[in-house]
Amino acid sequence: MTQSVLTSSPGRRARRTAWAGRTMLTPVLLAIAIVAIYPLGYLVASAFSESSLGRPFTEWVSFANFAELLGDGVTFPSLGRSLLFAIPSTLLALVVGFIVALSLDAAVKSGRIVRVLLLLPLMTPPVMVAVIWKLMLAPTGGLLNNLGQILVPGSEPFLFLGSSPSAMISLIVVDAWQWTPFCILLLYAALQTLPSEVYEAAQVDGAGVWQTFWKITFPLILPTIATVLVLKLVVSFKVFDLVFIMTSGGPGFDTTVSSYSIYRTALQTFDVGAAAAQTIAFLVLVTIIIVPLNAVRQRLHRED
Amino acid sequence: MSAQRRTSFRSSRPRVAATLAALTAAGLALAGCAGGSGGGADGDKTLKVLIAAPQEGAGKILEADFEKETGAKVEVEVVPYDQIQTKAILDAQSGTNNYDVIQYWYTSVGALAESGAIEDITEWVDGSAEIDAPDFIQSIFGPYTQYEGKTYGLPIDGDMHVLFYNKEILERNGVEVPTTWEEYTAAAEKITAAEKANGIYGSAILGAKSAFNIGSSFFNRLATMIPGTIDPEMPQLNTPEAVEAAQAMLDVAPYALPSPLEIGFEQALPQFLSGNVAMIEFWTDLGTFAQDPEQSKVVDKWGVAPLPIGPKGHVAGALDAGWAMGISPNASDKDLAKEFVAFASSKATNEKLITTTGSGVDPIRTSTLESAKYKEFAPAVAAVAAEVFPNAQSWPTSPEAPEMLQSLNDNLALMLQGSLTAEQAMSQTWDAWQKLKG
Repeated sequence: MTQSVLTSSPGRRARRTAWAGRTMLTPVLLAIAIVAIYPLGYLVASAFSESSLGRPFTEWVSFANFAELLGDGVTFPSLGRSLLFAIPSTLLALVVGFIVALSLDAAVKSGRIVRVLLLLPLMTPPVMVAVIWKLMLAPTGGLLNNLGQILVPGSEPFLFLGSSPSAMISLIVVDAWQWTPFCILLLYAALQTLPSEVYEAAQVDGAGVWQTFWKITFPLILPTIATVLVLKLVVSFKVFDLVFIMTSGGPGFDTTVSSYSIYRTALQTFDVGAAAAQTIAFLVLVTIIIVPLNAVRQRLHRED
Repeated sequence: MSAQRRTSFRSSRPRVAATLAALTAAGLALAGCAGGSGGGADGDKTLKVLIAAPQEGAGKILEADFEKETGAKVEVEVVPYDQIQTKAILDAQSGTNNYDVIQYWYTSVGALAESGAIEDITEWVDGSAEIDAPDFIQSIFGPYTQYEGKTYGLPIDGDMHVLFYNKEILERNGVEVPTTWEEYTAAAEKITAAEKANGIYGSAILGAKSAFNIGSSFFNRLATMIPGTIDPEMPQLNTPEAVEAAQAMLDVAPYALPSPLEIGFEQALPQFLSGNVAMIEFWTDLGTFAQDPEQSKVVDKWGVAPLPIGPKGHVAGALDAGWAMGISPNASDKDLAKEFVAFASSKATNEKLITTTGSGVDPIRTSTLESAKYKEFAPAVAAVAAEVFPNAQSWPTSPEAPEMLQSLNDNLALMLQGSLTAEQAMSQTWDAWQKLKG
């Protein structure tokens, strides 16, 4: 045994450890290859081909699909609507989430029940969220319009989902309603990690509530806010269930965001090549938005 | 000693972990390979049938009855109606071959045939006296099953709209059952003005963009306004009657249940059954729902008539929705699959389904349309159905039909939203259709 200790050099041990690490990574790499790299390759290949659901890769068409989406009058507006949806819904969830997290932090006896209730929207499947809100916002028989009829009898029903801009606003509010608990969770957890000595020192120095918040709390929690912002923005860009169930992209095309537009192209007209090109355009948009924000986020964390 | 034990343990840990990781990777790879052999035990007579959600009731009856009659096991998979085409094409194209029998929306017959998702069964149908093809209502048989002169399926559900009305609402507003679209709009306007404060509206217009809704509202009007019949290859949107049909939708929209763009058949039906809507264009099985006290507040208070017509049109109707059954080219037991399709479209089965509440099935054969049992089960509906089914007119059925319908639905929705005039909606759709064909 002493022999093996003497003959097993540090270099060999290190190499064995490295190989062990690589082998352990194999399942993960395989999974990534299957789930991410293969579909990405298929997507890029489809975008440069004439592909339908029934007959994929019938012809190589070079940049024809991209040229088409530049002038189809559908893709760019849908990208714009994705932005129009993602940014307000993210900011709304973040701001409201932050306020609630601060309140929870301040309230000493908040209790488990409050926390569970606050998490309920996040625990509800997105499709159910969409179905419930669609029923509540219905012009006839919907909860909100019924309340309106009680307050102002005989009034015209308000078309939350059937008119613009209320359709987009409704989607933003419902999405924020569902994801605010996510923001609350992360921000509340971050607030718990803030060092109490700093607050004690501030108190001793006679700092007021606003001063404490702006000079101490906000700067300390800014890295977490940036993280939550990026995560929520990614989630907002991925919205589909709400649009599919609540508005079907309408009225007209007013809530046809990019993900829904791609769905229409791929699974209603079965033009997989065009849908792949649209997906790549969407990917470019999301990258342009997320990458700089992520860089800012990383810098904030490093400074922290 | 302890140092040696520590070192040897430390040196064997990576080895153990490496072995575990390698085994896991191998296991995953094997699992991936094993999945490709496909489902369905050999020698086991299990028929897998793809059914659309609206016919779930019929699907259950077919499953039970066919099993009883033949002893073969049937597995019915119910999917939302707008996913049938995708599932059928992917099943065939990916080689999964999960389904033996496929229920399809008739407008996709061209697309499915073109992509090889359903089989050419012309010889079998022509050669089988049992199937009795001439008994099928010909205005249904053609659009539902034919592509390039060959037969790809058999009809199982008719699906036409007729005009249902609430007798009480019409009477207390002094309104006659409309026979023209102009009268229809005037009636809706009068009733809505008088009763909307009570949440009662003159009409419910299906205007939701999803397949059967806004399209049905349009084709109902087109079918009853054009002098001839709708051309399934290229419906005549470039005619003044098409513009009038679109305009008729626009004219009645302000007096319809709010708001047409949000109303699909799932929203409209309960409103009519609750007595909140005076007139609605709907499938004939509304007549059975309306007489079911469990879900209807208008039992015996409703009536049914053919759809109104336009100045140059005639009593007719459009095939709104409408289902047929085909066989997958990769069905494991084609004879059994054919037996099932013949069974599902047979006179006995169709008669049973059209006289069963909740089946979601309408007449497909002349013999069942005129059967005494049907007339007894739904006398009012049967009388109107006998008048309009032989004059049924088809939506597009070519391989480009899915794109054509999406383009039409989009422009109609923009029209109802106020972004396009009726004329623009028709001309934009017509132009888009020419590009698709071109």
